[in-house]
Amino acid sequence: METVQNGLEEELMSHQSGHPPLKMGIDIPNGKLGMWLFLGTEIMFFTAFIGSYIVLRIGSEGWPTDTNVTHIRIWAGGTNTFVLICSSVAVVFALEGMRSKNFQLARKWLFVTLILSFVFLGIKSYEYYGKFDHNILPGRIPETNSQALAFTARDLRAATGIDPQTEKLKRMETQMAELQKKGGKTELLQKRIDAQKKVVDEITPIANKVVAINDRVKAGTIELGLAAEHGKDAPQGHSAAETSDTKKPATEHPAQEAGKSTMVTEVARLHKENPEVFGSVQVPHPIKYGNLFASCYFIMTGFHAIHVLVGMAMFILLLSYGSKLSSQHEVFVENAGLYWHFVDLVWIFLFPLLYII
Amino acid sequence: MTDEHNDHPHVAYWRIFGYLCIFTVASVIADVMDLKAMYNITVLSAVVLLISCFKASYVLRYFMHLKFEGGWKYIILLPTVVLALALPFALASDIGIHYYDVEVPQQNTLLEKEIEQIAEQKAEDEHHHGDEPAEHGGGH
Repeated sequence: METVQNGLEEELMSHQSGHPPLKMGIDIPNGKLGMWLFLGTEIMFFTAFIGSYIVLRIGSEGWPTDTNVTHIRIWAGGTNTFVLICSSVAVVFALEGMRSKNFQLARKWLFVTLILSFVFLGIKSYEYYGKFDHNILPGRIPETNSQALAFTARDLRAATGIDPQTEKLKRMETQMAELQKKGGKTELLQKRIDAQKKVVDEITPIANKVVAINDRVKAGTIELGLAAEHGKDAPQGHSAAETSDTKKPATEHPAQEAGKSTMVTEVARLHKENPEVFGSVQVPHPIKYGNLFASCYFIMTGFHAIHVLVGMAMFILLLSYGSKLSSQHEVFVENAGLYWHFVDLVWIFLFPLLYII
Repeated sequence: MTDEHNDHPHVAYWRIFGYLCIFTVASVIADVMDLKAMYNITVLSAVVLLISCFKASYVLRYFMHLKFEGGWKYIILLPTVVLALALPFALASDIGIHYYDVEVPQQNTLLEKEIEQIAEQKAEDEHHHGDEPAEHGGGH
């Protein structure tokens, strides 16, 4: 044991005397090693999401894959894949420019990368807009017919605005009672209360129509009556009232023939009677596992988009050096490039998993 | 540091770019061909994920220069693969195989409660006004 230690010491001594000082660690820049370690944690970060998604997807029989339901557009995903591959090439050429001391060229390619990242986010936000527009959001999607009924009932009631207006009236009345106790002037408040009462009285008959529907929902005597149940031809995810109006004349509807109104026909009736109140209410199509799908979609693409934003910040910082960009930034460019390639790498797996399978 | 340029020989980046584009088009073709309908979802998944692995390996080896790096790359990257594989395997037995039944069991209890409240209130109001008995008398 002692001899080994002596031997080591001797070796160290000989290094100290004869050779230039020994460089410890791996022969890559510290920053680059740090970036690779960070990317190691990033791989685990994304594989946790992707792995969970794969398992949930396999475990959920009847996962929504119809693009009319999910509003997944393969052309958008494919284009974004292409855009990211292009930007990866651009950032590689930027690094080549840095290595060959052609900083003008490096800046040009960094700029191209930045533009392409904007294109990516543009397409991504278009897709997000589609999801928000069709309410494909976690927690907002009914998964069964009874949930769809309950959601519609809630939306109808909210559209009338009866609850906030009644509450406002109640608040005013308690204010009035307090004022009367104190013996203050009540005329002004009384005027406001009268005006508010008028508002509530105007809403009440409209709200009562909804109460009747809510009662039927509660008693289970109303069907959803969505056209989509009759075949795949009807586009899902759109307003059911819209589809039943355009695609099927109301009289053709089987439920109507049986003399029983459905939620769809009820909502269509309310649309006609009070378009300014109920115009925005739609009967949502139940999407089995829709909420889980939306959660997975948004958590994966959302975190990816955040990574894109961070990469863009790096490129903007590099470009802000302008003509001062020099050899001392080479490691920075290399690290930004490594990070950006990783962002591309994640998308390479998200694209087939979310858009194709 | 001086021999870094030897460590990173000039790669034909445009050729790698070409491969990546071809692979992307191939996975889109797999989607358009509807392999899911022709065979089943397993075949489709295997094909497109294999394509992804090829793409990823090109990006890692050439764009990220891993092909030209030292042995440290294995120490940093291989442990992450353990998590990537272990997580799905660990969850597969419960979540992947016996997850929910065919019928989704979640109930939106909050909404149902809300509807119940509305109905109760209505029944109360009617009772208060002394109208004819409500048709849904079993409300309470």
